[in-house]
Amino acid sequence: MSNDNSRDVALLNRRLEYAVPLLSFGGALIGIFFWVTTASVDYRISILGCVLASWVLAYLAWMRPRKDIVALSTPVYSFIFIAVPTDNFSAVILEVLYAASLTILLFRLKSRFGAQVVPTPDKKDLADPAKTYVEKIRETGITSSPGLAHAAAVVFVRFAEGEFSEAVSAADAVIAGPNDGEPSRCLQRAFEIVREQSALLDQSLPAPETFLTFSADEDCMLAKVPDPKYGKLEEYDTALENALLILFATAWNAESDRPHLIQCQAFAQRLLGQ
Amino acid sequence: MKIGNVDVKVSILAVAVFVIFTFFLLVASLYSPEVRSQLIWLIPALFMLLVIPMALNYMSRREYADMEPQYEAAAKTIRVKMINESMIGKPVRIEGVVERVYFQFLNRPQYLVADRSGAISVKMFTSPAEEVKVNDVVEVLGQVIHRYIVSGDPVINCISIKKLKKPAKDSKS
Repeated sequence: MSNDNSRDVALLNRRLEYAVPLLSFGGALIGIFFWVTTASVDYRISILGCVLASWVLAYLAWMRPRKDIVALSTPVYSFIFIAVPTDNFSAVILEVLYAASLTILLFRLKSRFGAQVVPTPDKKDLADPAKTYVEKIRETGITSSPGLAHAAAVVFVRFAEGEFSEAVSAADAVIAGPNDGEPSRCLQRAFEIVREQSALLDQSLPAPETFLTFSADEDCMLAKVPDPKYGKLEEYDTALENALLILFATAWNAESDRPHLIQCQAFAQRLLGQ
Repeated sequence: MKIGNVDVKVSILAVAVFVIFTFFLLVASLYSPEVRSQLIWLIPALFMLLVIPMALNYMSRREYADMEPQYEAAAKTIRVKMINESMIGKPVRIEGVVERVYFQFLNRPQYLVADRSGAISVKMFTSPAEEVKVNDVVEVLGQVIHRYIVSGDPVINCISIKKLKKPAKDSKS
């Protein structure tokens, strides 16, 4: 997802938020104008403003990760509203009340249903913070042969899918060697950590008393530097998250497995705390 | 009410509907001879308002009880943070603390269960075997699904939720 594109979509959505009261109250004002001037037009034309505002509100509700069923169903109500014949005075009053309801629903949507999720326009690129981390790994010089990068992708994807025994097998193959290139010490350790914890997860075993972690001189390559205040369990979790992210970044930088890795982007972002 | 091994529960909503319609029927039969003549089928119909939800609850509870051993065997115990979209359809087991409970009155409870790595929604489409309250430490067995069937964040379709006496291994400290 390009950042420019994300900004454009976010800007468009902010403008659409203004469109809800503008369209609905705009339509209601036109209806009032027709009523005051006793114009010989069908008053229901002005209801179109409310219909459009309902669709915009439903779109804004759809874009959020938590769906508001009330806002999503407003287009249905707007059609009932336009289809039911009413006299002119009632139509104008209903229009004003409906415009007020849509505006209240917009505020409710913004306050109770969180920030909008900007859709990924293409599934070819990473978003931040994964993008920044992948670039950091490239700069710190963890590079690998195509074979090792593919193995890293297989281990990451299998782990993300919950296929822990397959992740163990794939990591074992790298650890046992020989490989088409020697993995760096940090990458080798990442494979070992994922292998160890996947084997435990596959058997639903708890964290052991002693477990593999990264050494202090590898801190510059880690996404989350372990805090000295961490307890054993936090240290155990952080080691796995860092190991998985190193595998992800290494595989991503090699490019060949990006179509598979992009499907697991949400998992990588979650590991990074998004 | 227990039928076989299944403890059948009727939601408070179904009971409320039964009570309201019973009240309407009593009032109507007092004032209308026509309604009184129809009581022979109105009374059984009234009881169907209770019997049908009970039958549905019995069937769903029995189905869930049958599925539980399969999930018990296949599910891996994982941390909440590990649950992601690539795991859709996978059986999982989590241990954590119940932070919120919703829709218990509908017999379709939804829980927010948290462990030390994060929190996740746990949806159950029938009543649980035992009453689960906020702050209970539980073991959840279920399948990862999308929140809105085809889209939305991953949540757990709960097959069983059991209270644990010991503190959860992964619960927040």
